[in-house]
Amino acid sequence: MNWQRVWRSLRAEFGRSPMAKLGVVLILAVFLMAIFAPFLATTNPKAQDLSRANEPPVGFTDTTEDTRLVDGERQTVTVTTRGTLEYPLGTNQLGQDMYSRLLYGARTSLLVGLLGTAIAALAGVSVGIVAGYYGGRVDDGLMRFADVMLAFPALVLAIALIGLLGPRAVDIPDPFVAAGLVSDMPETTVLPLTVTLVVALVNWVWFARVARGEALSVREKNYVKASRSLGASDRRLMLKHVLPNSLTPILVLATVQVAVIILLESALSFLGFSGTTLSWGFDISQGRDLLATSWWISTMPGLAIVVTVIGINLVGDWLRDALDPDIEGESGGGMG
Amino acid sequence: MSDDVILRVSDLSTRFFTTDGQINAVESLSLEIEEGEVFGIVGESGSGKSVTARSLIRLIESPGRITSGTIDYRDEELAEAVREDYPEAVDGAFVDLLAIPEDVHRSLRGTAFSMIFQDPESSFNPSLTVGEQIAEAVEVQRRASSNPRSTRARTRSSAYSLRSYAAAAVLPGRGYVSSDSKDRAIELLQQVGIPDPEQRVDEYPHEYSGGMLQRAMVAQALAGEPDVLVADEPTTALDVTIQAQVLDILRDLQEETGMTILLITHNLGVIARMCDRVGVMYAGEIVERGSLGDVFDRPTHPYTQGLLGSIPDLDAAGGRLQPIGGNVPSLLDAEMGDRCYFADRCPKAMEECLEKPAEYPAEGTDDHAARCYLADHPYEASQALPEDYFEESEPP
Amino acid sequence: MRLTRFLLRRTAQGILVVWGVITLVFLLRFITPGSTIDFVAPLDASPELRQRLAEDLGLNKPIYVQYADYIVNLLQLDMGNSLLKGRPASDVIFARLPATLELAIAATIVAILFSIPLGVISATRRHQPVDYGATGFSLIGISTPNFWLGIMLILIVGVNLGWLPTSRRIIGFGPALELLIFEGRTIGIQVWFEHILLPSITLGTYFTALITRLTRNGMLEELGQSYVEVTRAKGLPETLVKYKHVLRNTMIPIITVLGLQMGTLIGGAVITESVFNWPGLGTLIIDAINSRDWPLIQGSLIVIGVGFVVINIVVDALYMYFNPQVTFE
Repeated sequence: MNWQRVWRSLRAEFGRSPMAKLGVVLILAVFLMAIFAPFLATTNPKAQDLSRANEPPVGFTDTTEDTRLVDGERQTVTVTTRGTLEYPLGTNQLGQDMYSRLLYGARTSLLVGLLGTAIAALAGVSVGIVAGYYGGRVDDGLMRFADVMLAFPALVLAIALIGLLGPRAVDIPDPFVAAGLVSDMPETTVLPLTVTLVVALVNWVWFARVARGEALSVREKNYVKASRSLGASDRRLMLKHVLPNSLTPILVLATVQVAVIILLESALSFLGFSGTTLSWGFDISQGRDLLATSWWISTMPGLAIVVTVIGINLVGDWLRDALDPDIEGESGGGMG
Repeated sequence: MSDDVILRVSDLSTRFFTTDGQINAVESLSLEIEEGEVFGIVGESGSGKSVTARSLIRLIESPGRITSGTIDYRDEELAEAVREDYPEAVDGAFVDLLAIPEDVHRSLRGTAFSMIFQDPESSFNPSLTVGEQIAEAVEVQRRASSNPRSTRARTRSSAYSLRSYAAAAVLPGRGYVSSDSKDRAIELLQQVGIPDPEQRVDEYPHEYSGGMLQRAMVAQALAGEPDVLVADEPTTALDVTIQAQVLDILRDLQEETGMTILLITHNLGVIARMCDRVGVMYAGEIVERGSLGDVFDRPTHPYTQGLLGSIPDLDAAGGRLQPIGGNVPSLLDAEMGDRCYFADRCPKAMEECLEKPAEYPAEGTDDHAARCYLADHPYEASQALPEDYFEESEPP
Repeated sequence: MRLTRFLLRRTAQGILVVWGVITLVFLLRFITPGSTIDFVAPLDASPELRQRLAEDLGLNKPIYVQYADYIVNLLQLDMGNSLLKGRPASDVIFARLPATLELAIAATIVAILFSIPLGVISATRRHQPVDYGATGFSLIGISTPNFWLGIMLILIVGVNLGWLPTSRRIIGFGPALELLIFEGRTIGIQVWFEHILLPSITLGTYFTALITRLTRNGMLEELGQSYVEVTRAKGLPETLVKYKHVLRNTMIPIITVLGLQMGTLIGGAVITESVFNWPGLGTLIIDAINSRDWPLIQGSLIVIGVGFVVINIVVDALYMYFNPQVTFE
């Protein structure tokens, strides 16, 4: 693997493609939002204020009819709520700040997306390389197992597993809060552990397929055959020759998989199979019953997902155009 | 003479507008091809031969464009048919192929002239049977001849359109518009010497060998009984023995049908074997033209002399161009300048060569001409350019 | 003959995969925390009742006996009784299946109807406004979670404009068709169409976007092949060059990707059903999981697995139809 050449073609393609630049900007923005959420947030995203529930975003006004007791009589009054800068994206039915929730939701999405992809890649690449390198029975067995895994749509399998295992979550202390740099923010970030493991479990097969294909082709290369005849151990050969050669297609696949997993996580949260309430998908599900009155509750987190995933897909296109690996399946596992 | 001319190309220029700059692939090219002859165009790769061939059937795609010139094709009935609608395209019995609209031109493809391409393996659609692809060409021809030579028939596709294709696709024996066209395809395959044509007609391109595919391509090109066949490097991708077979088939068919062949190749052996007249192409221009004997036995242009001088045996099938020192020019407009394009490689470059040479008659007859000052003038050593002249004045 | 042999072979392989699915589904119950009997028995059940229930359900037998029993029952289409509905799980599942099939087929039709022409137009008018529009649409389309798209459609078309109903199914396609044929009333089809329109757009958009993208890129690649020039040179009309020759070859990569994306279609159907309260397998499986209705969970998963295997065989057959060079080793 010639890293200099990889770097050069990445740079060349980046210079050519305005879409690649847009993608990088979008992703950087989402990353910064997620990392510095405690500083950027204006209110604790979990703090409830029922007296300020369902306020529209700044610049919008919301008119509802309410029945109240006025001087002992029931009267229908028209209540007009104007969005304020205090809650720039409005509030939900619990009076929580949608803007701050959006920032913390980015943390959950990226955490699950990156960690899930990393676990899936680690597992998939290991299995794939072993299968492709040894071939024969090992290969047959592992690939038939992969076929069975693929026969379950990822979302269905994930729902079944999480539903049955129960959503578990791990609290990770927020370093900024622990260091005393900010106050009034959640002390921990919740990592939905079951969700992360399950999305990795349903997506490792894609990595296994790509890694296996690469291993199969590298195995036949003369320098690998030569090293083997010189007595190099299998482990060494796999780590030294097979793995580095598989990295380019795996990198491209991993990028796309982050998007796939973020979409999958949001779908799981939407269906209520999540371990955290600070998630874009969860917020969308909260706003669903209030569409007639408070459209922003579902709309805002959805836009955040779309922007994030567009950014990742653009970066994925950039990597693919620049590195040109041959991956079947274009965008991996899709969102189901 | 003009009675015999079937194709008259004048001042044809084809340019490609790329991000690196404008490329003059064909530069003010003029030539006349007589009915029933085999005319050869020979040149190194990059000299613009293939672009010339594609310009003739108007298959130049963006970023390329034919920027000037006329291609007059002699067909009295066609001239009659289009005179009313496109008077500017008609000149006596000749019709300017560049001045008629695309759909009229398309109806001429396959019927008036067709083309054989270089690489048979990639010239067939891999997912359709060879027979079906030949039958398509038959259908196209039938469309044009069902109502012979009328503009209406040429512009309105009645027999073979997307609709009839869609109908054929759902009916049994899909692909063939009619069983006639399949029979004709079998006949054509037989004509070009494919064994077992009844069975072969239903096979896919990947089941054919390279040589057989090239024959199938000849069959496909003949489906419309064209007047002019443009063959662009028809044998380059083939084995030497197969090359000879394909050339024999072409020669036989030409004698049988009396069609005109424009043969484009870099192989001097092929030219010597096949052609009546020949044009030597360099940097987008015909630099020398004449009968095979004139050009090969008494070459006038230093480039032609260089080409021929480096070939020990013209009849050797593998007689490729062993060109003269230096490189083929890039054809980039910015680097071409206004001089004889061969001057920087020419051993006899003189001061006159810094101006663009006209076409001079060689041997005092217009039938043999060269685009070289020396064709009509003696060489004078006193005016020769110093050997390193171009290295100094040209940018690297 | 090639196709028949291939189908036989693929069916054999498919049966193996289905067997794997069944095994996995069977094992799922044993990796789940908590004893199965806890979910089956009433909370106040006496130990004797629990014991009897466990014996009735065969929960005390060794695992391999339970496994054998399960397979034997499955072969007779007996998936056990749904704990939730008290009816055979297979009845419940097959009652819901048509709704999901209708939705999936409608979405596929929506996707193919829009995406292929859009992709072709986009590729043939490269760098023109329509191309930028199609490229932008497909990027957004593959980046939008379909449940959110569904909610936005409900918000705009249902709530704000009030044009279309936003939930439930009311009438199936079969009954609607019967109404039309036997009684000559179009109301059934109309109601069916109104209800399926938004869900099928929701489910179909991702695929429309994906296939548009694949068609465009595939067409661009194919248009550079030399056979295209040859086809033009023989005087074929441009529509035939594009739709017969180029598109046909573009179908090959499209079908490959679609085959890999079939899981997305089924997963997408589950979540779309949930958004629109569509009474299909998706909503059924979520209910079943939430209430630990084991027979129903296992049955639904197996039906989905079988469906996936069948779809993939169809996709492979299509692939073979479009690509005569494939022999499937």
